[in-house]
Amino acid sequence: MDEEIDHNSREFLNAKQEMDQLVMDSMKSEGKPNAMFAKLSDLFKAIPVSSSMVKWSRKNSLWPLQFGLACCAIELMDFGAARIDAERKGYLLFRATPRQCDVMLVAGWVTKSMVPEVKRLYEQMTEPRHVIAFGECATCGGPWWESYNIVRGIDQVLPVDVYVAGCPPRPENLFAALMKLQEKLGGKVGD
Amino acid sequence: MSTRINIGPVHPSTHGVLHLAVDIEGDTIKDVEPHIGFLHRGVEKLVETRMYMQSPPYMEKLDYVAPMSYDEAYVAAVEAALGVEVKERAQYVRVIELELQRIASHLFFLGALCNDMGQMFTMFMWVFEDRDRVLDLLQEATGQRMFYVNMRLGGVTMDLPPDFTDNCIAFLDHLDKRITEYEKYLEKNPVFIERTKGVGILSAEDAKALGVTGPTLRASGVPYDVRSAKPYYVYGKLGFNAVKLEKGDNFARYRVRILEMRESSRLVREALSKIPDGDALGAPIRLIGPAAKNRVVTVSRELPRGECMMYMVSDPQRPYRLSIRSPCFINLYALPHMARGQRLADLFSIMGSLDLVMACVDR
Repeated sequence: MDEEIDHNSREFLNAKQEMDQLVMDSMKSEGKPNAMFAKLSDLFKAIPVSSSMVKWSRKNSLWPLQFGLACCAIELMDFGAARIDAERKGYLLFRATPRQCDVMLVAGWVTKSMVPEVKRLYEQMTEPRHVIAFGECATCGGPWWESYNIVRGIDQVLPVDVYVAGCPPRPENLFAALMKLQEKLGGKVGD
Repeated sequence: MSTRINIGPVHPSTHGVLHLAVDIEGDTIKDVEPHIGFLHRGVEKLVETRMYMQSPPYMEKLDYVAPMSYDEAYVAAVEAALGVEVKERAQYVRVIELELQRIASHLFFLGALCNDMGQMFTMFMWVFEDRDRVLDLLQEATGQRMFYVNMRLGGVTMDLPPDFTDNCIAFLDHLDKRITEYEKYLEKNPVFIERTKGVGILSAEDAKALGVTGPTLRASGVPYDVRSAKPYYVYGKLGFNAVKLEKGDNFARYRVRILEMRESSRLVREALSKIPDGDALGAPIRLIGPAAKNRVVTVSRELPRGECMMYMVSDPQRPYRLSIRSPCFINLYALPHMARGQRLADLFSIMGSLDLVMACVDR
């Protein structure tokens, strides 16, 4: 118990440093299985971010964050359930951790006590990240406009890509919103 | 030595945004401290600034899994303050819609509970299919999918449509078969049994002392249900029986809801067969006139999650004060009692069995 912990030791490096170190190690001695990392990272450096291939792959792999605040989250769940079946368009990959996601669906009212948490989640998501304001409350405060504890629209805190109207919007509207986002990322989306 | 870990406020299993500070020793829970308030928006204060019948939309957002029940409780309080009688057909219509709403809410509970246990996404898909059918029926009857605002003073906004009875009976026949299927699927599943039977026991004495109501109380062996203890509307005529189970563990709480769905299904059938002809539409408030000043009314209703009380002090145009006894807020504080001494992994199956809605807790 009394043992001193060295926070600079290999086990306590953070993920990025660790990955860099792994790549460096593998570049030193080729032939190890770790050489894979160096080659992949070189490949990604070679492709410019503005290329159509990057655009296409970003557009077609949206990973929404599983994050519900209030009423609209129920419709969000319905969006993933049997009738609407979001999976047929490849949208339903709700992950519980922000580090694996790039789309944030703000479903519900955002209170002042919740703002730091929402901000933190947004900052933890991988770039490039997008925000959809789902429903009246996330768009402008909705029915709680006059309340003392409400942020009147998530766009006061985060940059919003798509707004969805309705209280709550039907799950079909979320389909439209995600298609809108895809259009924004890279041209027209077919049916 | 105990370790404190923080769960939430954003966590897939906290049913919204709830922060739990959990003290653990090894894998055993020593104490749970719920930190609430992440969804607080001051409904009780907002209602004081609105005319009487402008408030039902706020009330519906208190419990978004069963919106109509809160709407009805508030309108019942206004009716008591203004001294309005509810028409007989409207009473039946309200009972039918409330019981359908209860079925939708309990179906949602099943899906959420199995999700919290980690692996049974199948159940989530099944119950949402059936829940969508209930929402279709209610949409047919009220014109809205989720927030209905169908209560008016002395009646309802829209009467039942002509083909409602047939559709409703067809759905209930389907539902009865489905409930049997759910039972078969869950009660023979060793994982489900392992995580529910004997987990999170709440004794009848503790439940009474903590003020727990609803299915959670009835699973602990206390047959208290507002619908039979203080019958309102036509529950007395329909021969309602409160469900009761003895064990008080997660399995009993799940089982109570299954039995309540069957009871609700029976009540809707009974009400559909006995519904009288006539007028069910309510009147706008301007035809009824202002309320008396400083009349205090308390209305008690059985929501899907427990007993809700509306305490209202009236003023001519708007409520002078409205205080809501929210069932979820009180049921949440039974969680530390149930979780102490359990394994950390069981915390969320216990919380799932309480069926909380955080908007109802925070108000």
